[in-house]
Amino acid sequence: MHPVETAAAPAAQAARDPRRAPSRGRIGTALASCWLALVVLGAAASSLLPALDPLRADFSAILEPPSAQHWLGTDAIGRDILARTLAGGRSSLIVGAMTVAFGLVAGGLLGIAAGYLRGVVDGAVGILTDLILAFPALILIMAVVSLSGAGYWTIGLLIGGLSVPAFARLARASTISVREQDYVLAARNMGAGPLRVMRTEIIPNVLPTVGAYSFAAVTASIVVEGSLSFLGFGLQPPLPSWGNLIAEGRVHFATAPWITAAPALTLCATVLSVNVLGQALSKGRP
Amino acid sequence: MMRTWTVRAGRAAIVLALLGLVTMSLPMLLTGNPALSVLGPDATPERIEAFLAELNLDDPPPARLADWLAAAAQGDLGTSLVTGRPVADEIARRLPVTLELLIGGQIVALAIAVPLAMASAWKPGGRVDRAGTLASFLLIATPPFIIALGLIAVFAVALGALPATGWRDAWIDPAGHLRHLALPVLATGLAEAAVLVRLLRAGLIETLDQPYILAARSRGMSAPVLLATRALRPSSFSALTIVGMTVGLAFGGSVLIESVFAIPGMGQLAMGAIETRDFPVIEAVIIFSGAAVVVASIAVDLIYSLVDPRTRNASR
Repeated sequence: MHPVETAAAPAAQAARDPRRAPSRGRIGTALASCWLALVVLGAAASSLLPALDPLRADFSAILEPPSAQHWLGTDAIGRDILARTLAGGRSSLIVGAMTVAFGLVAGGLLGIAAGYLRGVVDGAVGILTDLILAFPALILIMAVVSLSGAGYWTIGLLIGGLSVPAFARLARASTISVREQDYVLAARNMGAGPLRVMRTEIIPNVLPTVGAYSFAAVTASIVVEGSLSFLGFGLQPPLPSWGNLIAEGRVHFATAPWITAAPALTLCATVLSVNVLGQALSKGRP
Repeated sequence: MMRTWTVRAGRAAIVLALLGLVTMSLPMLLTGNPALSVLGPDATPERIEAFLAELNLDDPPPARLADWLAAAAQGDLGTSLVTGRPVADEIARRLPVTLELLIGGQIVALAIAVPLAMASAWKPGGRVDRAGTLASFLLIATPPFIIALGLIAVFAVALGALPATGWRDAWIDPAGHLRHLALPVLATGLAEAAVLVRLLRAGLIETLDQPYILAARSRGMSAPVLLATRALRPSSFSALTIVGMTVGLAFGGSVLIESVFAIPGMGQLAMGAIETRDFPVIEAVIIFSGAAVVVASIAVDLIYSLVDPRTRNASR
């Protein structure tokens, strides 16, 4: 399994594919934006409104199917599935944001340094990315989490670290195509050192390409965080995450499928929306 | 040409050496004192010392890696702390299960992706293409473990046609073996097919614009023959890369699929070892799987140069 690479596929390929009809995407983009806005608002509301406390158990309503009172039903100890799903979204959003922040900055800078300086730096960055890709990602994260504990920081930095190779390779390729441009040569001829050239000429021109990958990186991070929590090596209960909600629901899968279905469908819809938006943006660029 | 491959092999060797070093420093790095995390906080200093010495955990990582490699060269990958059995035996027992899943999954993925990509690329924007694009977008957004749960919900819970979890030995119960294999293979294959179909379709559309395709069409070559014999090969690079990466990664076992379906493969071995802090097993699985990834990526490059001779002299 390699979500970092697979999630990149649709976004990268859409940019190259001129035959897709652009008109149909309008409604999809609107729907995707609305859905993501809902997830973000829901996550914010779940930490602010006491009525949406994901841990409040109502022992008079156990394993209830969706109803007017509990829109998405309740789980085995009477906790509201909607409240828990919204709170799970908060975990995914936090981890996703940390992943992109770390991957974009670390991967982007490494890739730019490799592409602009070439030589030894390029070789070292290449070996580093190969090394990260060679590790069995899930097993490594599971080992780290199991031995030293899980929290937002551990999970966010580990998944962010896994996204470094993809960001670095993109930034390197993009830098190589920019570094011989006239404006870069001009800056160099005027006496700008490597650091200054990279800061004022390379980074602004590389950022759009590399930044566009953030969408794919967010979806990959949501999937990996969900997978880890599902296996019991991610964010630990009672902290809700879509993955551990799905895992909890498995016990009652045959009799109360709504416990599993709500977080599972929410996760898929969110990943789909981010993909749709990422594609729309990469198509919109010249 | 020769030089490219030498550089490639040298780089692979460095990556593998670093992978080994990182793996060997994991127990110390992550626990501070691996003995305490295995023996518990009440262990006597003598026991702790004996434990560290037995696994030479107190040696620096380079020395540990050298010892490990020397033993591995004689087929000894260490001994499990939990079962007391050789790790090599354990891997030999788990690997066939994982490989069977892997091969089955690849067959399903290619059987779905290749015909669908051809039909889609032949008439972009047509009915097949639109349906295929929609389906692959939905599938790409669905993590493999959710695909697996969905398949269980349909085929095991609702229809009752196939068992939800478990594993039967192929020699003792061949029919049961296949029935238990069906859903995990389908889940693996569907997840990969969704990605492959996008890559193959894009490659094919690019190839079909080439003049030699127009020439073949104007000579009256039929669409299926043209697609299969002329267009597929030059369009399969990005798909090949994904297949190669999947195969390499799969030697570490598919933790998620094996966990959902309770299949005793490499992934379950690794997960169990992590839960029980069985350091020799964890180390062996990580190094074994890392080596498989590195070898697979070199193999993909080799296959490139066989499939498309134009890439042989291309500088990377």
